[in-house]
Amino acid sequence: MTAVSLDSFRGELERLRADAEAALAEAVDAAALEAHRVEFLGARSGRLKAIQKSLGGLAVGDKPAGGRHFNEAKAAITAAFEAAQARIEAGGLGPAAEAIDVTLPGEPIRLGHVHPLTHTIRRVQEIMGRLGFESVDGPEVEDQWHNFEALAIPAEHPARDPLDNFYLSVARTADPLLLRSQTSTVQIRVMENREPPLRIVSLGRVYRPDTADATHYPMFHQVEGLLVEPGITMAHLKSVLRLFASSFLGGDVHVRFRPSFFPFTEPSVEVDMEWGGRWVEMGGAGMVDPAVLEAVGYDPDVVTGFAFGLGVERIAARRYGVDDIRDFYRNDVRFLRQF
Amino acid sequence: MIISKNWLADYVQLPGSVDDLVEQLLMSGLNHESTSAVGDDLAVEIEVTSNRPDCLGHIGVAREAAVLFGRPLHVPDPRPLEGAADASKSIAVRIDASDICPHYTARVIRGVHIGPSPSWLVDRLATVGIASVNNVVDVTNYVMLESGQPLHAFDLAKVEGGQIVIRRAVNGEPFTAINHKTYSLDERMCVIADARKPVAIAGVMGGADTEISATTVDVLLESAQFAPLPVRAAARGLVLASPSSYRFERGPDPAMVEWASRRAASLILELAGGTLERGFVAAGQLASAPASIPLAAERVEEILGVPIADARQRQILTSLGFVEVSGSGPHAHRWRAPTWRRDCWREIDLIEEIARIEGYASVPENVAVAVRPIELSSREKTLRRAGEVLVSAGLCEAMTRSVVTQAQAAAASPWGEAPPLVISPPLVRGADRLRRSLLPSLFEARGGNVAVGVDDADLFEIARAYLARPEGADPVPSPVHEPLLAAMVVGGSFSRAKGLAEAVLAGLGVTASGATIEVRPAAFDLFEPGRSAEMVLHREGRSAERIGVIGEVARSTASAYGLVAPVAAAELRLDVLAFAAELERSLVKPSDFPAVERDINLVVAADVPWGDVEAAVRSAAGGMLESCRLVQVWQDAERLGAGRKSFVISMTLRSTSGTLSGEAAASVVDAVVAECGRRVGGVLRG
Repeated sequence: MTAVSLDSFRGELERLRADAEAALAEAVDAAALEAHRVEFLGARSGRLKAIQKSLGGLAVGDKPAGGRHFNEAKAAITAAFEAAQARIEAGGLGPAAEAIDVTLPGEPIRLGHVHPLTHTIRRVQEIMGRLGFESVDGPEVEDQWHNFEALAIPAEHPARDPLDNFYLSVARTADPLLLRSQTSTVQIRVMENREPPLRIVSLGRVYRPDTADATHYPMFHQVEGLLVEPGITMAHLKSVLRLFASSFLGGDVHVRFRPSFFPFTEPSVEVDMEWGGRWVEMGGAGMVDPAVLEAVGYDPDVVTGFAFGLGVERIAARRYGVDDIRDFYRNDVRFLRQF
Repeated sequence: MIISKNWLADYVQLPGSVDDLVEQLLMSGLNHESTSAVGDDLAVEIEVTSNRPDCLGHIGVAREAAVLFGRPLHVPDPRPLEGAADASKSIAVRIDASDICPHYTARVIRGVHIGPSPSWLVDRLATVGIASVNNVVDVTNYVMLESGQPLHAFDLAKVEGGQIVIRRAVNGEPFTAINHKTYSLDERMCVIADARKPVAIAGVMGGADTEISATTVDVLLESAQFAPLPVRAAARGLVLASPSSYRFERGPDPAMVEWASRRAASLILELAGGTLERGFVAAGQLASAPASIPLAAERVEEILGVPIADARQRQILTSLGFVEVSGSGPHAHRWRAPTWRRDCWREIDLIEEIARIEGYASVPENVAVAVRPIELSSREKTLRRAGEVLVSAGLCEAMTRSVVTQAQAAAASPWGEAPPLVISPPLVRGADRLRRSLLPSLFEARGGNVAVGVDDADLFEIARAYLARPEGADPVPSPVHEPLLAAMVVGGSFSRAKGLAEAVLAGLGVTASGATIEVRPAAFDLFEPGRSAEMVLHREGRSAERIGVIGEVARSTASAYGLVAPVAAAELRLDVLAFAAELERSLVKPSDFPAVERDINLVVAADVPWGDVEAAVRSAAGGMLESCRLVQVWQDAERLGAGRKSFVISMTLRSTSGTLSGEAAASVVDAVVAECGRRVGGVLRG
């Protein structure tokens, strides 16, 4: 047996003990722990066993001290193993980390935000979708037929005045184009291309010259519903709007009709809905004027229909407590981030 | 229209509470705006829809109240005392343009005393917001507000040649109105002229020359019918709207022409004295009686969804002034509308009248509506998905105006070469160009945020642009093309904007459908030279199409919009992508077998773009390649040689059929390296 000095024996033990403690402290799972157990404490070829074998090489006088050192190291490594084993069994990740200031801010996540008008439009689409109304879409630059004629707005009607519309300055004077003043244009386009029964909501931007103020903007959004089938009456209109109002506002909401006038519906009504204990005007509605049905090639003796329109900005303003509709178009992120 | 409660009570007995009156009018179509006290009277402002010119006078509103409360209506029947002299000796009337003036009447009152009006008249006019002028002018205003028929009084002495001619204005013809402003007329307008000059713009405003003044002795009283269009042309064209033009644009009751003339003459005699000449001088003629209208009783229920008894239908129509004409049977009545209701000429109009008076409260609100299946359009799904991706990337959705300023419209559009379309009037001041890209609007919105101290407003918008289609395209579906765009503006470099654009495309599943996207350098007005690109969509059997642009915002653009650099932006054609999107994909089952990571360090010439290298890697690696990531790009003349750069590429390889062996992975890597050598001259770094 090779002679071993007590000092080098102790040095070996210290290194082993340091290696084992470091490795065991970092062990993250049972497999790693087992590997370390085999490496350090293995009965056959573990490193501790190897050092134990060299105990015999110490001078006789050094043996008691060597044995004591060996036992200390073995106890420490065994303790470290047991600690690591307990930690892994408990699911821990090492010695307790330092306590943290839990009031420090979390890592900021920048959330994106959908525009409140989009929220409102989607909500209307979703509710009307459940009632079988399909969302449709059409051009914003329109011709006279779709924006006026087919909607029973004849040439001499004041609604066609150049000052009340955004006409395009292009050479086609025979049929001047304009930015649509209502989304009913889309309804005409759909009716021209499809046969009843029909249930659609048209939605999008519309344009009317108005001086921008807290309640007016020359560009705004409309959602308009149209249902054409044989046997449709104002009772269907009222019932559908009541379902809509109840879904949109929550609870059992009643609607009220007040007579009004629109060129493309007859009878025409303003629609009030109960909101916060008051009647609030939500939009216009009516039975599709027979002239409109005829304009798109439907027979008013066979089918009837209803139409209604809602101003998106008005609903959104009320819903979100926005007191100036121009805020919807300022795009101030301090506003947008609230939705 | 402002109604005086006291005045209204002249014609009908009103309910005790004005609130009852207002509520009933509201529920029958006259919307209530406000009620305010004026002296001992109440001014009730109501909104009269454009189809109801009959309610632009107190008598018309009183008629509604009489019907609603079931009370009689008292309309005065003035019989002014006429003198011996014949009016036709004093004035001649000729209509040269019967299309714009179907009927004109003139009366002559001589020897009036112009002076203040009595307090009852001053008070009533004050209630409805009209200042008293003098007794004769006040009478014309009073009778207009009573009957809805506008009147005008001229100083007869100032009317030259004893003649009134109603004709179109001559282009450029000057005219000084009673507001003492001079206007240049045009041929769309109609004037009342004497033998020499215009004395009034028909239906709009009288002239200063012939206005009633303190020295007026003889009065010419006009009561006439004017067509809406010339009146509107003058009122709008000259910015000269008046209570008179407001009514003529809507068409007062033609039968009131004669009544209003009698009524005003009678009041002038009473308040200003004088002698009324015999008869009135008229030209043109009253509109003929309207045709009769059929009404099938059961049709009412077919429209309203609630039955209304035949007798009740008849009672409502009769009380509104409709007359049942002969030929009516028990279920098929024929009606003739009163002259003041020219908006009623069809069966549906009668049904609305019945419904309006009966009220809509009885219309059921619980009728079942059959279920019907629907689906969102692919366009709608596409724009929603694009929005979801951008919101989840932390952007805020903006909504900007479709119309921009000339300066904002100046940058060339990525989407077409046609110049911007111009609208009139401008949407808001200075903004009269339809936008061809959303980017300038988004830059403005981001700049607006900088101005309020928010430098990092990352915004997107999904909206249309508007482009004139080239001339001669045949067939032309519409002269204007409206591509649907998704635009985004964010702080950062090209790569941030590109990452967002790629995320949208990934969200839409564009490449899952077999299409490919090529990104290649392209210059655009708003972007920094050398730091922008176009995205091109390649689809089987279709020509390549630009679907996106990306770039770093040019420093000049950033400074023009007040942006804090660096800013990058991108814009995508969602309308095209809607056709390439695969929003509902079939599952590709994730492999249960382990992945193998292999990194290569490929050295290429400095001008080789990554895109070419990636294409080589993907083509060589084939189906085993799960992902190919660029880890690092570096250049080091000493270690790589001048004009060389190194791409550190990390590939994840995985098989769906078994654990990939080291040999198999090595052969993929070898193939990749070989392909890179062939295509881009790449070599492994030793």
